[in-house]
Amino acid sequence: MNAKQPTWKKNLFRHEAILLVVLIAEWIFFDAIGRNFGTYDNSCDILRHSCEIGLLALAMTPIILTGGIDLSVGSLLGLCAILFGKFWRDAHLPIPVAALCTLGVGALAGGLNAALITRLRLPPLIVTLGTFSLFRGLAEAITQGVDTFTNFPNSFLFLGQERWLGIPAQAPIFIGAVIFFWLLVHQTTYGRTFRALGFAPEGVRFAGIPVERRIAMTYVLAGIISAIAAIIYTARLGQAKADAGNGYELYAITAVVLGGTSIFGGTGSVHGTLLGVAAIAVLQSGIVHALQPSEMAGMLTGALLILALTSSVLPKMISGLRARKSALKLSKPIA
Amino acid sequence: MKRFLSYFCSLAVAASMIGCGKNSEAPAAGGNQTSKPAGKKLTVALLPKSKGNAYFISCQKGAQKAAGELGDELIFDGPTGTDPAKQNEIVENWITLGVDVIAAACENKEGISTALRKAQSKGIKVITYDADALPDARSFFVNQATPQGIGYTLMDQAAQLCSSNAEFAIITASLTAANQQEWQKFIEEDRAKNYPNMKLVAVKPCDDLKDKAQSETTALLSTYPNLKLVMAICSPGVPGAAEAVKQAGKTGQVKVIGLGLPNENKIYVHGGVTQAVVLWNTMDLGYLTVQAADALARGTLKPGDTSFKAGSQTYEIQGDNIMLGKPFVFTKDNIDQFDF
Repeated sequence: MNAKQPTWKKNLFRHEAILLVVLIAEWIFFDAIGRNFGTYDNSCDILRHSCEIGLLALAMTPIILTGGIDLSVGSLLGLCAILFGKFWRDAHLPIPVAALCTLGVGALAGGLNAALITRLRLPPLIVTLGTFSLFRGLAEAITQGVDTFTNFPNSFLFLGQERWLGIPAQAPIFIGAVIFFWLLVHQTTYGRTFRALGFAPEGVRFAGIPVERRIAMTYVLAGIISAIAAIIYTARLGQAKADAGNGYELYAITAVVLGGTSIFGGTGSVHGTLLGVAAIAVLQSGIVHALQPSEMAGMLTGALLILALTSSVLPKMISGLRARKSALKLSKPIA
Repeated sequence: MKRFLSYFCSLAVAASMIGCGKNSEAPAAGGNQTSKPAGKKLTVALLPKSKGNAYFISCQKGAQKAAGELGDELIFDGPTGTDPAKQNEIVENWITLGVDVIAAACENKEGISTALRKAQSKGIKVITYDADALPDARSFFVNQATPQGIGYTLMDQAAQLCSSNAEFAIITASLTAANQQEWQKFIEEDRAKNYPNMKLVAVKPCDDLKDKAQSETTALLSTYPNLKLVMAICSPGVPGAAEAVKQAGKTGQVKVIGLGLPNENKIYVHGGVTQAVVLWNTMDLGYLTVQAADALARGTLKPGDTSFKAGSQTYEIQGDNIMLGKPFVFTKDNIDQFDF
């Protein structure tokens, strides 16, 4: 963009600002037509329902910033959920120990993705497409698809179903993750290399930055976050089954892209992702409260995505056209 | 400035998610108010296992009829994809929405029960239909069929179609499946009691596959030339057995009946290959569910009741199960009224 524009005007057309307006408009709209939509109770439910996908979307943001992708997060959520159940029920581990072991599994699984991508130099799309099937398949094989883990103690279910200091008990974990990823991506040199990697990986390599290690870290983080999401999911539903988190990877990617992160890497932000998650979650809840069939949510999410993407490209296109016009004027011979 | 805007964005999300919330206005959430006055219009929320399933669309038809008669508002919504958490999310949205009563067909028994218990704790009445939740998460279960009802109806149908000393064979899903064994037990009980001269010559498993049911039936037809009837007690088995009888040119000579879905058997029923398909009437199931849900919310249906009157019919209540009654027999005359 041209440097003469005042900063506020530049920020007004930033993708995040537009998305924020869309989000507020959504809220006002559903509050007007929906029954009991804008209540505190429902706000808590929206936050509760978007925790798992929100976590996955947060972890997906640095990955997509580097130009990568992780399709395996939903499957890994399923695998971690049933392994958590196994650790607790069959290995008789106390819940906190079982949770720690699950985080270990998540880190290992993320490490597998990372190793295949950075050591063997395979494309992330192919690698995680493979582990997408592998993790889900493992989860199904371990439980034969039918074994369900339930009857967790109430102290554990509290994490998924109750309120703590007036907010959903899982919210502090989510907020902690938001702060962590925001600081990582926006406030550290570490985070800046993610975006640089998306723009010009070779350039970063020549700058002497350990590219492989940075990329590997994003996938290991995604693995750990998937495990955390799995534990929260298990607590929210009170059950762990092999089909947990089915399709969540696509919801997460949708939220990230809706949040303004370029799928080719290089540009994007954590707060954008957060807005993307919120816009989808508000839409899904709003549809039910407006007594509309829930399949409308899928349709409207698609429409929202296209609308948000075009509206952030439009100002650029217009200013591009203007620039061309003025260039044409200048090139006219002075009669 | 840029930094400021970023902070602002993040704060605004947090605010829109939590801060803007008004206090709940939902009168339905009032825990003390356990029953609704007779005249008030109720909101009944009906949850199917999955929304695209024609079986539940058929239930919805009956539910709509009941809601119309009662003057209630009916919400019908359910998962469209494969996400097992979706049923919970819909129920939780209904809780804040402030519906009066929820009727659920449960995909995940334990998983959905947490959401249903939460609804009960907010004063919303809960019943289940088609597939039950855990008993403490609902007041009643509308039970569409008992193993005894299914077994007796199948055997009675078989006896009506054949002479009193006819030979018949059973196609089952697998020899070990618990529900199949249960049904067979009652088929045998009915036979021994009421049709002692009829002879069960073979029980063959088809692994819930139509192809295997067809090949097993073909083998049965050549092994037992006096076979008069094939009874398939798993849904892929019914069209499989019918196809075998049709291809053997024994249409009408060897009768086919079974437990299955109307749509996949229509062509054989109209072709005269299959004489009867046994299941329950899904429209009646939806109708009874909404009637019971309404009565429960109004306080006219209470735990401990032994019968329930809905429309022109009275239904039996066994414990906390409201019984839909005898299974329904789909024949040439009525099968086209059903689409699932």
